[in-house]
Amino acid sequence: MAMQESVGRAAAKPMGKPKLGKLARREEREFYLFISLWIIGFIAFDAGPILASFAISFTNWSMMTPPNWTGLQNYQRLIADPLFYTAMWNSLYFGVGSVGLGLIVSFLLALLLNQKVLGISVFRTIFYLPSVVSGIAVAILWIMILHQDFGLINTVLSWFGIKGPGWLVQPQWAKPALILMSLWGAGGSMVIYLAGLQSVPQHLYEAASIDGAGPWMKFWHVTVPMMSPVIFYNLIVGFIASLQGFVLVLIMTNGGPANATLMFGLYIYRVAFQFFQMGYASALAWILLVVIMAITALQFLGAKYWVFYEGEAAR
Amino acid sequence: MATHHEEELAHELRQRGLSRREILQISARLGLSSAAIATVLAACGQAPQQPGTGAAPTTPPATEPTPASLYDLEEGNSGWPASAVSDPTERVEISVAHSWDAVFFERQKQFDALFMQRHPNIVVKAENTPFAEYRQKYVAQAAGNALPDIMYCQFSWAQEFIKNGLFRPLDDYIAREKDFNLQDFTPQSLVSYQRDGKLWGIPYDEGPANLYYNKDIFDAAGIPYPDETWDLEKLKEVALKLTQGEGPNKIFGLGELPTLGDSLVAPPYLMPFGAQYLREPKEDECLINQPEAIAALEWWQELRDKGAVPSPADLQNVAWPAFQFGKIAMTMQGSWATPPIRAGAKFNWDIAMWPRGPKAHVTFSAGSAYMITRDSKNPDAAWIYLNDYLSTAGQSYMWGITGRGSPARLSAWPSYLNSKFAPPGAKYVEQAMRTIASHDIIDQPTGPQVTQAAGPIWDLVVAGQLSVKEACDQVFAAVDPIIAVNRA
Repeated sequence: MAMQESVGRAAAKPMGKPKLGKLARREEREFYLFISLWIIGFIAFDAGPILASFAISFTNWSMMTPPNWTGLQNYQRLIADPLFYTAMWNSLYFGVGSVGLGLIVSFLLALLLNQKVLGISVFRTIFYLPSVVSGIAVAILWIMILHQDFGLINTVLSWFGIKGPGWLVQPQWAKPALILMSLWGAGGSMVIYLAGLQSVPQHLYEAASIDGAGPWMKFWHVTVPMMSPVIFYNLIVGFIASLQGFVLVLIMTNGGPANATLMFGLYIYRVAFQFFQMGYASALAWILLVVIMAITALQFLGAKYWVFYEGEAAR
Repeated sequence: MATHHEEELAHELRQRGLSRREILQISARLGLSSAAIATVLAACGQAPQQPGTGAAPTTPPATEPTPASLYDLEEGNSGWPASAVSDPTERVEISVAHSWDAVFFERQKQFDALFMQRHPNIVVKAENTPFAEYRQKYVAQAAGNALPDIMYCQFSWAQEFIKNGLFRPLDDYIAREKDFNLQDFTPQSLVSYQRDGKLWGIPYDEGPANLYYNKDIFDAAGIPYPDETWDLEKLKEVALKLTQGEGPNKIFGLGELPTLGDSLVAPPYLMPFGAQYLREPKEDECLINQPEAIAALEWWQELRDKGAVPSPADLQNVAWPAFQFGKIAMTMQGSWATPPIRAGAKFNWDIAMWPRGPKAHVTFSAGSAYMITRDSKNPDAAWIYLNDYLSTAGQSYMWGITGRGSPARLSAWPSYLNSKFAPPGAKYVEQAMRTIASHDIIDQPTGPQVTQAAGPIWDLVVAGQLSVKEACDQVFAAVDPIIAVNRA
């Protein structure tokens, strides 16, 4: 018995790197060759500035004179900065709203576009097309769509006797307007859902049918669990992107009215390039990183209750 | 096949020397079809040679005068000063950072070509950066100790840049020049470039805000044009009368109202009522919650309440300056607004003095300057350039003859007043500058934080969610800690 255990432990020990064949060695070389471009780019253009910004966050630096070491002063300052909380709240509001709505709409679109009907490729192209339009063009288009007096949305509302709000000019409507606008890019997530839907094994639906499941039961007990890793991926990526949102807000509202759309990224930009307080801007950027990491960690913790991985043992 | 209108448009765009990108933008804004845009672009590709530009400099120029310039190369090419600083004995290159529109940058190239003819050992390398990107770009260059030899600087950044040591003081150079008379500069033009008893930049312009008005709208309403008898009550009365219509066809009596997010707000809107925003020039005390400031802002607010100024939603429809689209009867603009209005307005317009208030007759004036940077490798050559560029001849060549207006030197004003490019009421620009222009505008390093803090609070007044008094109290509470550093 003891000997068996000993043998078992020995067998569990790593045996060292197995000798690779000629083809495997070639594949390994090619792997490093391809990944080296990204690694070189990351080290040259990202890693340095990332590390530098961490050091800068402990300084007072206007970019015009050498930085002065101030220790934790920038981090203490943000605790008392009301705009820090405003920007964080706005970003979280936008993140939850845009990701939540985006997940639902893009999933529903993917379900629709997963049907076998004539011309489905054309429909898929049409729904995906908006997500490849450049940010500036989208911003200008949506300023027009959301216009209080002549915008498409308020025009449609007026057909039903509803007087639409000043979407981008009234503080209470500005964030919902941006969330509505974020649906414009739903095509990107939709394509990922579509790929996921097409890889759901058909036999699961057949088995559910034999068990007497209707369309809703099949959707809820087969499609959703099988798609949960894809939903989780879109949730993580979408939330991170929404917290870093910057360009559209800068162009459409520049943080207004009354700071209602002052997102965290825009606030960092303003502190850095309008007030030239690079130390404080760096501290804000690092806090944003910490917040994103914390939210992502929470999402991963929560994932074990609802994300189903087909290859894993029973949950 | 190009229509008559497309050919006319192509001709006009060609005359203005716009880039293909700018032409595309304008054409798209005008709602032209892609075929029409292609026609316009094709027509604009055949820009004719302008007279006078054949006289290329004998030295290799960094920039060549191009055929796109509206202005005659040789007009005003005389009276250049001789600097006490000797020209370099060997060829040196100086870099000069500008922020001009495409049309005016052609005039810049003409100046540089002539300068290099006069100073063959100084090669000028001009950099042109859009205004919106300018400050970020050159602050980033400052971080790398890579500033150009000479750079443009707007009044609102000057104190911040000077405080951070970006520029060299110019007093010693000025003292060496027999002909460089600082008294020739309008006093307001120098304010933003002085610090610690030294002068750090030479202003090229300082323009007052005036009342621009659409004569066609006045004529249609049968109302006499603004004149020197006008006061602010009259302005309000006429603005309300001229406000007509609804929706896209609405005519607004006045283009804009004061906002506390604007660094220029005090002279035209508060000081006529005996009020002030910050105590000038140190900007060490916020006065916006004083009764006279609140009363002044409430007085202006009536125009918003009665719909006589565009709402934020209305302003989403039009680009700056909205006046040029013919929907606004009167607007207060700095003299630098003249070129785009002149280029864009398809109606009769003119300029009048900003009306007097119950306590004072005041408008703002503001401008920009050129500085020699701390990183300049050839400061002497840079000074020779500045001495030419901002001399009477230089200011006449650049800002007088071209009708841009408001040269900082008094001696350059006649060239502006006689310019065929100047607006009809140019004399009122000069009169305002001499009599009512005040540089009591927010220009200390704390300025951007002050306006960024106050602007969002004022947004709530515009949205009707906060009273003027509440907003003034909140602005005071937000601004006072920011300007505390100015009390030191």
